[in-house]
Amino acid sequence: MISVKKVDNRPLNFLERLYLPEIARGLLVTTRHFFVNLFNPKGIPTVQYPEQTLPLPHAARERTRHRLKVRADGSPKCVACFMCQTACPAYCIHIEAAEYPDNPVEKYPAVFDIDLARCVMCGMCVEACPEDAIAMDTLEIPGGVLDRNALKLGREALLRNLAGEPSLKGASNRLANDYLKSRGQA
Amino acid sequence: MMEFYEANKDLLLFAGASAVKVLVFLNAVMGFTALLTLAERKVSALMQDRIGPNRASLFGLALNGLFQPVADGIKMVMKEDFVPGRAEKLLFALAPFFALVPVLALFSVIPFGDYVMVFGYKFDLQIADLPLGLFMVLALSGLAIYGVFLGGWSAKNNFALLGAMRGAAQMVSYEVVLGLTLAGLLMIFGSAGLQDIVRAQGRLLFGWLPAWGVVYQPFAFILFLVAAIAENKRTPFDLVEGESEIIGYFMEYSSMRFAAFMFAEFVEIILVSMLAATLFFGGWQVPYLYETGFILPGGAQLPLNHYLVSAMQVGAFAAKTVFFSWFLLVVRWTLPRFRFDQLMNLCWTRLLPLALLNILITGAVLLALGKV
Repeated sequence: MISVKKVDNRPLNFLERLYLPEIARGLLVTTRHFFVNLFNPKGIPTVQYPEQTLPLPHAARERTRHRLKVRADGSPKCVACFMCQTACPAYCIHIEAAEYPDNPVEKYPAVFDIDLARCVMCGMCVEACPEDAIAMDTLEIPGGVLDRNALKLGREALLRNLAGEPSLKGASNRLANDYLKSRGQA
Repeated sequence: MMEFYEANKDLLLFAGASAVKVLVFLNAVMGFTALLTLAERKVSALMQDRIGPNRASLFGLALNGLFQPVADGIKMVMKEDFVPGRAEKLLFALAPFFALVPVLALFSVIPFGDYVMVFGYKFDLQIADLPLGLFMVLALSGLAIYGVFLGGWSAKNNFALLGAMRGAAQMVSYEVVLGLTLAGLLMIFGSAGLQDIVRAQGRLLFGWLPAWGVVYQPFAFILFLVAAIAENKRTPFDLVEGESEIIGYFMEYSSMRFAAFMFAEFVEIILVSMLAATLFFGGWQVPYLYETGFILPGGAQLPLNHYLVSAMQVGAFAAKTVFFSWFLLVVRWTLPRFRFDQLMNLCWTRLLPLALLNILITGAVLLALGKV
């Protein structure tokens, strides 16, 4: 359905064409804002960002700094499948895969870098991950740093489990689970 | 040496007093200008429900952004001083001075107080009490066009030249209105000396109403304010430079040369405020305050010390200046910009006839009252 918005295009009346009364009205609005804010600076909605943060609304909690989940044995849940790197529209993920010496089933990321300066926080890497290994739920908002290199996250900076998170057991892959069971870790 | 001193005692005293007055008054103006650059950002921020600059700090002390002008100044000095290859080097270098010096020179005729007695000598609180001070104001503010035009032309940039043309056309047009709005005041007060005009505004009308210029000429005050803002190239008449969209006359300027143009604009705000206070709002006059103290219309008296009276008068002048500066900032951040044809239309088909009409009516009323 086409919605029609009626615009009031009536010609200006004499007082409005004089311009000055309307100027006075406009000045009154801005002056009121000025004095209200001058005597009540607490009412200004500005947040002093890096020092002061607001609680994130629900959806935004899933769009914060990345992390890689860690298994109970300390190894990354990530299997270096490159799905996130392929899905990333900003090309900010760099992975170098390596193989476990004794694990014929899985790879692991020897290098897993995320350049937050390029990241657009779209969450596509999280959606792409078949292992549910990458997540964006640390509630840390990147940015506001003085050194660009501080925005480059390496593997060690990414590997972390959230506090209180049930320690992750096993992998989603059946073969990998069998392997872990054979080592008594599942 | 002593003979020379004895023979020229008055001259030396005058020279010394003038030097002190220039130093004190100009430094006060410059300091206020620096604060005004901060105030512009703070006032606009508060009007738009923002906080404004509050991060610049000295030894970890931010004082809500009080050091921002210092940071701005340091930034300006550190910037590259770029001169276009084909520019007229000499005029390009001179233009910022042409913009700044006439504006600063204008402060010499503005009375910022009545007089003070020091060691039995009487010092006028005005740098130069010219009998034709008002014309000096108009003449020197006319000179400011050279800064605009030389800045735009000497850069040899077509866009800068176009901006300079716009600026020169605007300033020349509004100069006419500015002069004509003040003619009514000249007719009423019968003097072009600014100190005389302020003293005349110390009288009372009907025994209780301060005889300020705005009481005689409320209409001229509005015209003056409009013309002065236009002359000052501030919003809603800022299409000379058009900070955000249109390219202005100082587009090739960078570093401190650019800062000089900006500084001139802010000094002009103070100048317009002081002129509005001096001509229309009684200058340093405080209602019912005379040389000996307060004398209220009912007859109640409160005698005050001479120095206290002088301090109150200078303070009143400063307060009026601050108020009008604030008002100009609020106007700047409230109104949208005129188009160039609207600007010229407003000047030549609205303000100019109204200013002439104001002179006619003032003359007719003076004639009818038999004051001529």
